[in-house]
Amino acid sequence: MTYRYILFLLIGFFLLVENAYAQQSTLSGVVTDSRSGEELVGVNLFVEETASGTTTNLEGRYELTLNPGTYNLRITYIGYRTKNVQITIESDIKARDFQMVADRVDLDQVVVVGFGTRSRRDVTGSISSISGEEIQNTPVNTVESAIQGRIAGIAIQRETGKLGGASQVRIRGGSSVTGSNQPLYVVDGIPITMDDLSINASATNPLSDLNQNDIESIEILKDASAAAIYGSRASNGVILITTKRGREGRTQFNYSFQAGFSEPTNKREFLNTAEFFELYEEAARNRAIDDGVDPQVWIDILYDEINFLSAGEFRQNSETGEWFWRDGVIDTNWENEAFQNAGMFKHELSARGGSDKTRFFLSGAYSDETGILINNDFERISGRANIDQDVSDRLRIGMNLSTNRSVMNRLSSDNAFATPMQLVAQPPITPIRDPRTCFDENEEPIPGCTPQLSGDFTEYYNGLLHRDFSSFETTIFRTIGSAYADFNILPELALRTEYSADILTQNEEQYYGALTARGVGGNDGEGLGVSRWVRVQNWQTQTYGTYQNTFDDVHNVEIVGGFSAQRVTDSRSLVEGRGFPNDSFRRIASAAEILAGSSSGSEYSFVSVYSRANYAFDERYLLSISGRVDGSSRFGIDNRYGFFPAGSVGWIISDEGFMDDVNFVDFLKIRASYGLTGNAEIGNFASRGLFGGTSYGGFPGINPTQSPNPDLRWEQTSQFDIGLDFNVLGNRVRVETDYYVRNTRDLLLNVNVPATTGFTTQLRNVGQLENRGFEFTINTINIEGDFQWTSNFNFSTNKNKLTDLDGQVITGGFVNRAIEGQPIGVFFTREYAGVDPENGRALYFLNQGDNPRDTTVNPNDAAEVVVGDPNPDFTGGFSNNFSFRGFDLNVLLQFVSGNDIYTASGRFMSANAWFFDNQTRDQLNRWREPGDVTDVPRPTLFRANGTAPSSRYIVDGSYIRLKNVTLAYNLPRSFLNQYGVERMRIYTTGINLLTFTGYDGWDPEVNTDFLAGNIGLGNEFYSAPQARTFTFGIDIGF
Amino acid sequence: MIMNYKKITSAVFGFLLLIMLVSCDALLDTDPQQSISEEEALTTPGNVRAALIGAYSLHRASTQYGGRYMFLPDLLADDGDINWTGTFFQPREVFDKTISPDNSFTQSVWTGSYNTINRANNVLDALDVLDAAESVRVEGEALFLRGLAHFELVRVFGRAYNDGDPTQNPGVPIVTAPTRGIGDDAQIPRATVEQVYQQVISDLEDARDQLPATNGIFATTYAASGMLARVHLMRGDYENAAIEANRVIESERFSLMPSFEEAFNQETSPVEHIYATRVTVQDGAHEMRLYYASSDFGGRADIDILDQHLERYEDGDERADFFYSGGGALRTQKWSTFTNIPIIRLSEMYLIRAESNLREGSSLGDSPINDLNRVRNRAGLDDFDDDLSLQVILDERRVELAFEGHLLHDKKRNGESVGSIPFDANQLVYPIPLRELEVNPNLEPNPGYGQ
Repeated sequence: MTYRYILFLLIGFFLLVENAYAQQSTLSGVVTDSRSGEELVGVNLFVEETASGTTTNLEGRYELTLNPGTYNLRITYIGYRTKNVQITIESDIKARDFQMVADRVDLDQVVVVGFGTRSRRDVTGSISSISGEEIQNTPVNTVESAIQGRIAGIAIQRETGKLGGASQVRIRGGSSVTGSNQPLYVVDGIPITMDDLSINASATNPLSDLNQNDIESIEILKDASAAAIYGSRASNGVILITTKRGREGRTQFNYSFQAGFSEPTNKREFLNTAEFFELYEEAARNRAIDDGVDPQVWIDILYDEINFLSAGEFRQNSETGEWFWRDGVIDTNWENEAFQNAGMFKHELSARGGSDKTRFFLSGAYSDETGILINNDFERISGRANIDQDVSDRLRIGMNLSTNRSVMNRLSSDNAFATPMQLVAQPPITPIRDPRTCFDENEEPIPGCTPQLSGDFTEYYNGLLHRDFSSFETTIFRTIGSAYADFNILPELALRTEYSADILTQNEEQYYGALTARGVGGNDGEGLGVSRWVRVQNWQTQTYGTYQNTFDDVHNVEIVGGFSAQRVTDSRSLVEGRGFPNDSFRRIASAAEILAGSSSGSEYSFVSVYSRANYAFDERYLLSISGRVDGSSRFGIDNRYGFFPAGSVGWIISDEGFMDDVNFVDFLKIRASYGLTGNAEIGNFASRGLFGGTSYGGFPGINPTQSPNPDLRWEQTSQFDIGLDFNVLGNRVRVETDYYVRNTRDLLLNVNVPATTGFTTQLRNVGQLENRGFEFTINTINIEGDFQWTSNFNFSTNKNKLTDLDGQVITGGFVNRAIEGQPIGVFFTREYAGVDPENGRALYFLNQGDNPRDTTVNPNDAAEVVVGDPNPDFTGGFSNNFSFRGFDLNVLLQFVSGNDIYTASGRFMSANAWFFDNQTRDQLNRWREPGDVTDVPRPTLFRANGTAPSSRYIVDGSYIRLKNVTLAYNLPRSFLNQYGVERMRIYTTGINLLTFTGYDGWDPEVNTDFLAGNIGLGNEFYSAPQARTFTFGIDIGF
Repeated sequence: MIMNYKKITSAVFGFLLLIMLVSCDALLDTDPQQSISEEEALTTPGNVRAALIGAYSLHRASTQYGGRYMFLPDLLADDGDINWTGTFFQPREVFDKTISPDNSFTQSVWTGSYNTINRANNVLDALDVLDAAESVRVEGEALFLRGLAHFELVRVFGRAYNDGDPTQNPGVPIVTAPTRGIGDDAQIPRATVEQVYQQVISDLEDARDQLPATNGIFATTYAASGMLARVHLMRGDYENAAIEANRVIESERFSLMPSFEEAFNQETSPVEHIYATRVTVQDGAHEMRLYYASSDFGGRADIDILDQHLERYEDGDERADFFYSGGGALRTQKWSTFTNIPIIRLSEMYLIRAESNLREGSSLGDSPINDLNRVRNRAGLDDFDDDLSLQVILDERRVELAFEGHLLHDKKRNGESVGSIPFDANQLVYPIPLRELEVNPNLEPNPGYGQ
């Protein structure tokens, strides 16, 4: 009896045990980001059938205990697309990892707005954002180059291919004529110093001091409602850059290495020696015909000049009179001399982690890049520490500190003879080095002698002398730091105070050796040294409170109010000396004579109070109002303070009851905004009557420099924006569109006044301009699953018009103008009418008189008219991302259309053999005999035929560029874990790989540095092409 | 408890905000560091003296006595003695006698001169800040600068004194008050040629009476007399021209250098200079060197001296050797270093006295032939031994004062043509700058320059 009981007990026990064993089947794994492989902490995994779930731990690992069966697992995480997976569990332990795809426009995603954050669905203004990950490891030196083509409404154009150079950035068109059109850059809440501090006309770019791999996200505030919280500086939009912060979890280290090489995107074709002789002999003979003299007269003049320019290598036999080359034909490709082998490498190490109380992000990076142009390189070392500390559950403090040192070898501006691209002007018959420096008296070559560079026989100053005997080194030290305290007075009310400083110190040391005498002007063969220091200190403090609460479940209120003060102090010193013993002595201490020495300083400040209120009713009806009062030292004493209000509304239509049945629409929101912003980027003391310092004969003097205008006030822009955002097809297609109108009034213009007053201009608020445009962005998830394909297409148009300039016509660039009724910067010059087939003379349209379409050969008889517009009709980008099992490929195309370019260098290099500058090969298509139809006029030596400024040199610069192709492979975790490595990504990137354009110059992305400005647009003058770069890189996380 | 907490916190917050706002308004008071405000500028004697230096510093700039007062009229008056080969088109237009109304060089003469006039007027307006003795001298200096500026303006922008009726011909606007704010009253019309000359003479005579005999590198009473001699010569008032020139000569403070070349390219002005602009490497403008000198001397080699000019010199004339070959052409030695620019030299005074005496039939100070011979002898030539005529003295002026800015004015006042262009042609007068005509409808343009 007892035996049976025991058996039953045992069987029952085993059954029990077996059951229990079966129920303890576990499903576990790691959830990571599909692109970077980083583990994600706090991911929710919810099992529908059991209505229970779990979250991933600090290592991204989850564990679920389930009975065998099939389950629907829903995996959600903010910022990533929800994943629905069906899992079948048998009786064993199952391991399953998940990769989550980042959701670019996830509605719950948090967007940084000024002084706070907001979820994207509640945003009523026009804000575009891009995550740092999208621009990670782009091999460019400045942040703005990395976001070209990725965002609607912002047009970014590099001025030149020189390293460290500036870009022109415009959000929704430029709103000023004399003030700056640059947006406000705010990094971690600090409006940073963005002035061009260059000693020469080639601008520097302070954004190159920011390591783009430190960036978490970039938000672009485009309309008044978003930007007005920045008040008097927000007329040109605001770019908010947020750097990475630490997070709770295991400390993640990341090491990244990237190396590559670069080449010019394009080289042009110039005449070789045979072609040079062909074209120039014809030009000489044509000139002889025109003058009615024997052709030999002009051939002799030509050959004499060739003899000089070839350093005597092309010469005449004194007995026979025959011309010959002494030692073989000289055929130099001067364009190649402007370029050098270019490449870069970069090392970076970062650490990110923290506990529940302390979180940190540390990074350090070193990069060294040799540019495509001779004497141009960029070396940078940077470091960052961002730390947050929870002191109690109410008080949090923290700091950001970044420090950076860049050393650059920079170049002269495009206008200087020494700029590398101007080497192309030297004709092919000119040897690079002077052979005569290695001849003895009998013209026998001296053995073992290397010929020297010389400027004695070149058509223009030989820029290679600059390469070898001069230096121009710019060193920048930049420290941007801030500290904050965040105190929760109440759960709904938080108070934050910040104090920050942005300190920039720049040193430029130039030395021009004795051999560079010609072309520097007044150097007198003794060596010239220049040393300059600039320091800009930018201090800011701000304090603001945020109140957030929901009443009755439906009224959601957020109010922000605060104040800030900022002061910027600028001090500079410069000394110039001459007469150095030799090129080994480069410091001014060794100069025999001090030519100039000066120091100067300036400062400005802002004081502001601001507030914003957001109200949402039932999460469907959104309202936002903001106001800011700004005072600035820059404005007239009668007009120091300005008030900048803005308001916006939004309606999330898709949440309405009547939309419940409309299944194909997942999200539909309409929004509108209106507000006022200002532009305070003018000189620091423009409203005052001033006397400046001067001197005579060593005695100090003062003189009136500025006539006062106490009325001087802000330029004000009022902007109206209406936008529609919608998602369809299960959130796989997401569209954002905006239409806007921006009106700027009280434009600050230098109005011409009678010179009998002793002044020629006075700055006054007169004038108005208008920008209107349309933006469209669509993000699609085309294919989901193991193979994934997503796309982004963005498109913007902007139409600019100067509606009132008080009758002024303002000049800029070569032939750019600001003219009432026209977009800013239109080209205003003669209209070229081609070549007369009868006689090869260049023709121009009269554009005046009774028969304006008649033509003339005399350019002075042709009226100047608007013949081109450098502003593009539309811009945009198209990017595609493909990923499959650890591989991903991203392809970005960027396009600009409808912009004209004025190739001013054409007047010298496409001048049908006017002077001895080498000509572009297309000049060989010149007119030769009656009946020839061509647009290259008849060559005549030393006589202009078609080279006056005209639309002959204006070309359409539209282009599509294969901007970025990145192919990467993320090694599988399981393989890496054996080596203690968490993730490893290997990639190769190409920048500016292909350019499709009808423009035959070096690069359609151009605006020559020495003339770039609000009106100087679309000009080319020996401007260097951009670089095409190929890199290879590895990211290792451990 | 919580209510109190809330109340207190908001009160504190509001209070802090108020304090910060109030104290930070002071933050907006920043001042320029390289400038001072107009209200403070002329309230102390030191500042008024500095303002006078400020006027000098523009008066000697390249747009005025640092170059354009001299070399542009010489280009305009040239009839084959020189050639302009430079790339700048603005001087080329002047050389070709086809100046366009927006020529930036001739325009700069206008804008620069009026700027100097405004600076001088600022000083004249603030004289009461100085003590009596100093105020007399400073007034003299400011009037000197203002008078010269109006003089140089009227003789290029207005018709010659002997061309038609100077009491009717438009000259240039006369400005005698400093600019305080710019309104519609800034649109002043042109005064007549005669009115401008009267203002110039009044200013320079007061200057002559108030300036000291020596004044460092600055204006002296003899500089004022020297200029007055020129002004009277332009008006054909030979009697007064002789008186002023004589006053300078008889002061015995100046003498001719033993050789011609010693009068030029000196780091400090020699005794032959009655007035000069100071030029040093740290401070100064020298557009004469820029265009006349070859690149070996730091110039652009834009002005070639041609054989026609050399033919003007007699054999044995030292001045004919004062040339050199550079950059493929002949260049003048007068402007080859970055040093003081002589504006008035003693030899000019002798020639003015000689010419005036000859025309008036007088011999104030000395006879015309003696004065002529002084200049000739210094240049290594023997005494003139023929009949003395006006033309002889004019020819002597041509070789002694070559390239110093006298040619256009000498030709015009003597009714001489420039090549085939008559002295009273419209082309030999600068156009009123286009930008002035556009902002001041009260200005009438010069004939021949229709827009």
